[in-house]
Amino acid sequence: MRFSLSSSLSLGLVALLSLSGCGFSGPTAGNKQAADTNQRIVVDNFRAPVANWALESDAAYILSLSGCLETLTRYDESQGKIVPLLATEWKQSSPLEWDFTIREGVKFQDGSELTAEAVAGSLQSVLGAAVPARAFNPKVVSGVKALDDRTVRVTTPTESPLVPYRLASVNTGVLSPAAFKGGTVDPFGHCTGPFKPVSEKPKQSLTLDRNEAYWGGDVKLAGAEVRFITDGATRTAQIQTGEADISLSIPVSGLPALEGDGNVKVLKADSPRTATLYMNNGRAPFDDVDFRKAVSSALDLEALAASVYEGAAIAANGPFAPSEPWAIEGAEAPKQDVEGARKLLASAGYTASRPLEIIAIVERAEFADVATVIQENLKAVGVPVKIQTKEYAAVEPDLLSGNYDMVLSQRNRLIDIADPIGFLTADYTCDGTYNLSHFCNADYDKTIAQAATTADSEERYRLYAKAGQILQDQAVNVWLVNEQAIDAVRADVQNHVQDPLSRYVVRAETAKPGS
Amino acid sequence: MIPFLARRTAALVAAVLLASFVVFLIPYVTPGDPVRKIIRSRVAGDVIDDSAVQALSLQLGLNDPLWAQYLRWLGRLSSGDMGLSYTSRTPVAEQVLPALWITLSLVVLALAIAATISVALGVTAALQEGRPADKVITAVTQAFIALPEYWLAPMLVLVFALQLSLLPSAGWEGPHSAVLPVAVLALRPTSYFTSAVREGVLEALSAEHVVAARSRGLSHLQTVWKHVIPNGLLPLTTLVAVWFAGLLGGSVIVEVIFSIPGMGRLLFDGVLNSDIPLAQGAVVVVVGLAVLLTTAADLVHGLLNPQIRMSHA
Repeated sequence: MRFSLSSSLSLGLVALLSLSGCGFSGPTAGNKQAADTNQRIVVDNFRAPVANWALESDAAYILSLSGCLETLTRYDESQGKIVPLLATEWKQSSPLEWDFTIREGVKFQDGSELTAEAVAGSLQSVLGAAVPARAFNPKVVSGVKALDDRTVRVTTPTESPLVPYRLASVNTGVLSPAAFKGGTVDPFGHCTGPFKPVSEKPKQSLTLDRNEAYWGGDVKLAGAEVRFITDGATRTAQIQTGEADISLSIPVSGLPALEGDGNVKVLKADSPRTATLYMNNGRAPFDDVDFRKAVSSALDLEALAASVYEGAAIAANGPFAPSEPWAIEGAEAPKQDVEGARKLLASAGYTASRPLEIIAIVERAEFADVATVIQENLKAVGVPVKIQTKEYAAVEPDLLSGNYDMVLSQRNRLIDIADPIGFLTADYTCDGTYNLSHFCNADYDKTIAQAATTADSEERYRLYAKAGQILQDQAVNVWLVNEQAIDAVRADVQNHVQDPLSRYVVRAETAKPGS
Repeated sequence: MIPFLARRTAALVAAVLLASFVVFLIPYVTPGDPVRKIIRSRVAGDVIDDSAVQALSLQLGLNDPLWAQYLRWLGRLSSGDMGLSYTSRTPVAEQVLPALWITLSLVVLALAIAATISVALGVTAALQEGRPADKVITAVTQAFIALPEYWLAPMLVLVFALQLSLLPSAGWEGPHSAVLPVAVLALRPTSYFTSAVREGVLEALSAEHVVAARSRGLSHLQTVWKHVIPNGLLPLTTLVAVWFAGLLGGSVIVEVIFSIPGMGRLLFDGVLNSDIPLAQGAVVVVVGLAVLLTTAADLVHGLLNPQIRMSHA
């Protein structure tokens, strides 16, 4: 969660841009024109680098999306599985050990060779960080070493089938040994990717040139500039003016302007984020499953998605997005049922002895409106609600200790790795470190424990779906809407594939025709 | 003069110390754990491992008593070291100086434009008092005072970047990038300055020595040029200094909208992320410059107006 002055400042600009949208339709540049290898593109990114490019920080996302940083493995969204990148194959050599075979013929941008020793050194630097990456830290990985020239061994403290997933995390990107001299991380010229960072304007942009010796084949663009534009309205404006070729994370309020612009393509994909009404299962009246079901029945999720989210989100049918491989089969978004809600409230013996409280986190501007819709829906079934808007940092201790009724929040299920195990463990197991719902169920814990050691991904996904069904049956929370990742691309950009997590944006095959 | 400068130097030191201490306390008096805020500024996400919190507290010395942390910072500052930013892990001075240069460029340009326009408008309005030109100038400048920057900035982007494609919508790439932010920053000072110049000129016009000059046979134009305008512009020196100081740290809205990596943005990010060294470094520079500027303005004012100099002696 992030507080953003820019989000509030954005409203005015976005409103004005919306008005201007219809005036900017023009001929769409042909997408079938031949790519010009002298072309460069500009990408407006929503993040700025932090921690002096340390790989364990979110700066790794910038290096990855820029086409600089590469990992041993990669999660392929279309196949729903881990595929080779800098490692060509891997195997679990013992319950606690995974061996990765490093690709031959790969050179870092400084000309040095990619070896097992270089990979191990890079991974060890991430593992030893004071604030380690969630995907790759001493609690989940106990060691990394080079077995020979081409083999890296990763050891885990407990048996885990998810090590290949961890090595797809951008935080485990590989830099050459020269990048770690001097106690800080220097990615300039030390990546393996198709683009080589050549200069940085602090807090403004990163400029990259084509890596002529890229191991993965021809790179079609001459270079790229990745700008750090934290204000969503500015990213929206720059894609319209043509100052940017790709703008990531477009705010919903910017959609009308862009969707009316013939020079811009708007891309939407399910994001692994579901806006959720968390209920404190450990406190009355939420400790009664009938009461929780009554809350769920009282809400009109379709109307919520259409109104507050202006159609840029879809009503949720549970804790997962429908397109995720572990989605609950056949699940449908619950329909509002006011009469059913009243019956459930009666069955729970609910009396409106005190108004219940919903906390709307101010970092998400839309949550104030979401809370108002929920307040109205619950009022209609006789549940009085008052709304509190607070900063997340201020309420976190109360949420974790169980001193609240309801809170609106949104979590990224795949923030650690391309697998929801971290989210399902932290948020819903009895000992979960982020169990805001204070939910505890032995069947659920058993299912998650089983999934955590299941190597076969299809079977593991089935177990996740089963766990999701338990959460759904117990009405632990109300999963409100699945949010969409929205990017915008100039119509003449070729071969761009949207990544909902913005890890891969400028790729070797990204191209642009001559002007 | 020397006692005046001594008092101002003492005020400078006191203001810098007070402001830096207030900034230092912000993360501790606002809700939430400052260490968790620092971690969240580096790694997005809600779940934070307690061991990471402990390790970072230890690494940054945040477990020490507050007074010890503050004194440690003061000690480093006395040798010119502003420390390392918690968020970017780069020296604060390396961030503050480029940001200061950018903001100074914006503010100097904005105030120079504002002063030039306001002198022309203010003098015209005063000399045309009560006539249509005066009424129009007064009405327009009063209206501009009410125009908020967060409305004006997007409006200018809409017209000059989107509709006309004449200027960039954001960024800091060269002189053309400065046009829109400078225009936004200049608008309100222009309004205030115009009003002040008008009042100053009107007051000067009725001063005894001006009336005496006219009675000695000096032409209206010569009287205005030699006696009215110099006295009428006196209030402008103080106003410019005050606005200069205010805009150094107060240009945050413009810097956010136009993605300009200046001082306002730096201060905003520092406070938001509990990046205490960054916020303190920025505040020390902004407050120090503000006190220096207002002192310089007072000196200039005193040199131009002997009555003030006497009162400070």
